[in-house]
Order: sequence, then structure tokens, then C-alpha cells
Amino acid sequence: MLLSSVIIILREVLEAALLFSILIALAKHSAVGNHWILWSLALGLVGAIIYGMNLSNISEWFDGVGQEVANAFIQLFIYAVLVIYMGVQVYFKDQAMTSKYWFLVLMIVITSLAMTREGAEILLYFFSATRRENHYVSVLIGMIIGASIGISVGFLFYYLLVNLRSLWALRIGLALLILVSAGMVSQASLLLIQADWLPAQMPLWDTSTFLSEKTAMGQLMYALIGYEATPTAIQASLYLFGLLFPVGIIALVNSKSIAYNKIAETK
Amino acid sequence: MSYISHYSCSKKAFISICCLLSLSFMTRVYSATPIINIDIRNHLFIPSEITIPENTKVKLIIHNYDEEDEEFESYELNREKVIIGKRKGTIFIGPLPAGEYPFFGEFFPKTAQGKVIVE
Repeated sequence: MLLSSVIIILREVLEAALLFSILIALAKHSAVGNHWILWSLALGLVGAIIYGMNLSNISEWFDGVGQEVANAFIQLFIYAVLVIYMGVQVYFKDQAMTSKYWFLVLMIVITSLAMTREGAEILLYFFSATRRENHYVSVLIGMIIGASIGISVGFLFYYLLVNLRSLWALRIGLALLILVSAGMVSQASLLLIQADWLPAQMPLWDTSTFLSEKTAMGQLMYALIGYEATPTAIQASLYLFGLLFPVGIIALVNSKSIAYNKIAETK
Repeated sequence: MSYISHYSCSKKAFISICCLLSLSFMTRVYSATPIINIDIRNHLFIPSEITIPENTKVKLIIHNYDEEDEEFESYELNREKVIIGKRKGTIFIGPLPAGEYPFFGEFFPKTAQGKVIVE
């Protein structure tokens, strides 16, 4: 019970912790304070409880695939907000933000929604694992260990980013966010394939002998870049789109922002 | 003029027949998706081994008869889904190349183990 609870909590926490740590590190550079973290955690917890309690009914939607559809749309929504966030972050990289309020709202939406999805599964696991027998202690200890490892990885990325120079922190932070968000598109497409909302196909390739998703490295790569050993063509092409779309947006916003600064300078 | 309207009319009829045909074809394909039922009882998958044909999409319906929730999980099948206690859930798998694809219940992995054999 102990080991399985370590693994399950680690897997859930890792993704949210990575997202959190990158956003907190980038927020440090744009000097928007830390209050938003508490809001994210509180809203994420409330969201997880509400989502977890209603998952039973949500699962019945659309002929038994409501869970996949709901999770896929949450992922795609987080992705969309992340792309907007990255655009705003790049636009205001050399100038004071005109409205910090909306920037904070973006960050809170991203992190609390990520927590909602992962947290709901953690809650369901906890109540299921401790229902019949008195496993409370071993399950709780396992959960704490799993969460600690996940949060530690988050801290590692956080310190990596805050110790960099401002420009490099932004570059590397954005690069990581693009990878994480492309992974979200890939997960969403996988869920829609599982629900039969997207066509099923044979896997394109199989790299599980090279890097299995079962290994710790495979899990980290899954959370960080959305690694899949056996993707289908649709999944791989949507991943590629998920990767290139924010790159395009950032390039566009960056050229606009540079032009704006030049006009401001000549004035 | 009348010729044109007549033409567009027959064109419409042709398109609607095509639509109906393709619709019936789609429903035929849909109903041809094999359905396999798996039960979860006392944190065990029953049956724990299922065999499906190669290169075929299959609809798994997983009935969880336990009070506790379970999470159907398989790295090899790329599938992951919470099956709430006393409820059922649908998971589409395949098409797949021949081979063995283990799956497990992530909430109770000690006992909840199974595999899909594709041949």
C-alpha cells in the first residue's frame, strides 16, 4: 500500500509541481508578488473536491466517456490560457505591465485548474485506499513521500530558473512551458482517442525499449515534454501543432513588442 | 432556368443519398466495434486476460462492482481512466499490432493485474 501510494501521488503531483515552479520562477522576474500562489492553492483544492465529488456523474456523460472528454477539455483550456500567458509574458518583458491583475488571473487559472484535475484523482485514491481496511497510516505516509518527491523536483526547477539571469530565465522558462503545454495537447488528444472522439490508429513507432514510460525517467519526461512511447499519427501531429503554435505566437508578439519599444525610443 | 433548377434538385438528391449511404456505413462500422466486458470484484479484473484481434478497435466496458474506485491504467495501451465504485466506464483500445499489453488497477496494483493479448 505504501509503495503504490508513493507512485500514484508522485505521478499526479509531478505535473502540477512542474507547472507551478516554472510560473513562480517567471513571476519572480516580472515582480508580481506571491499572493497569487495562495489563491491558486485554495481554488485548486476547492476545484479538486468539487471535481472529485462529481466525477461519478461526469463519467456517465457521452455514453460513458464523460471523464475523458471533461479531462481533455480541461487540458486544452489550460493550454489555451498558457499560450495567452506566454504571449503576455513576452510582450511585457522590457516594460512595466499595464495591468498586473489580469496577468495574475491567468496564472491562477492555469495552476488551479492543473491542481483540480490532479487533486481530484488524489482525493479519490485516498478515500478508496482507506475505505475498507485501516491503511490510513501507510497510505498517508506514502502520499507524503510521493508529494515530497514531486514538490522537490518542482523546487529543483524553480531554483534552476531563479538563479539565471533575467533574460535566460525567461527563455528557458518559456521553452519548458512550451514543452509542458505541448504535452497537454498530446494528453488531450490521447483522451479523445480513448473516448473514440478522435479516430483510432495504429501506433506510429514504439520507443519503449529505448525509454519506457514505466521508468522514473520516462515518468519525468512524460510530465515535462509529454513523452509517449507509442503515439499515433494524429497524436504526434497534434503534439507538433501544440509545440509550434506558442512558438509562432511568441515570435509574433516579440516582433510587435520590439517595434513598440523602437517607437517609444524615437519619441 | 428550369434545367438548372432540375439539375440542382437531382444534385441535392444525389448528395442526400450519398450522405445516407455514408451514414449507414458509419453506423455499420460503429456497431461492428467488438465489445468486451471486464468486471472488477475484490480488486481483481475478471477476466484478467482478454484476447482481441490484431489491427482492430475494441470497446472495453469495465464494471466496477467494488465499493472503492479503481483506476484502469496501462502504459503499453496508453490508457488511463478512473472507474468509480459501483459504476462502469468505457475505454476504446486499439487498433494494435500483435503482442501482449499488460494493464493494472493503479489504486490496488497488488491484486488488480491483467493483460490484453492481441493476435
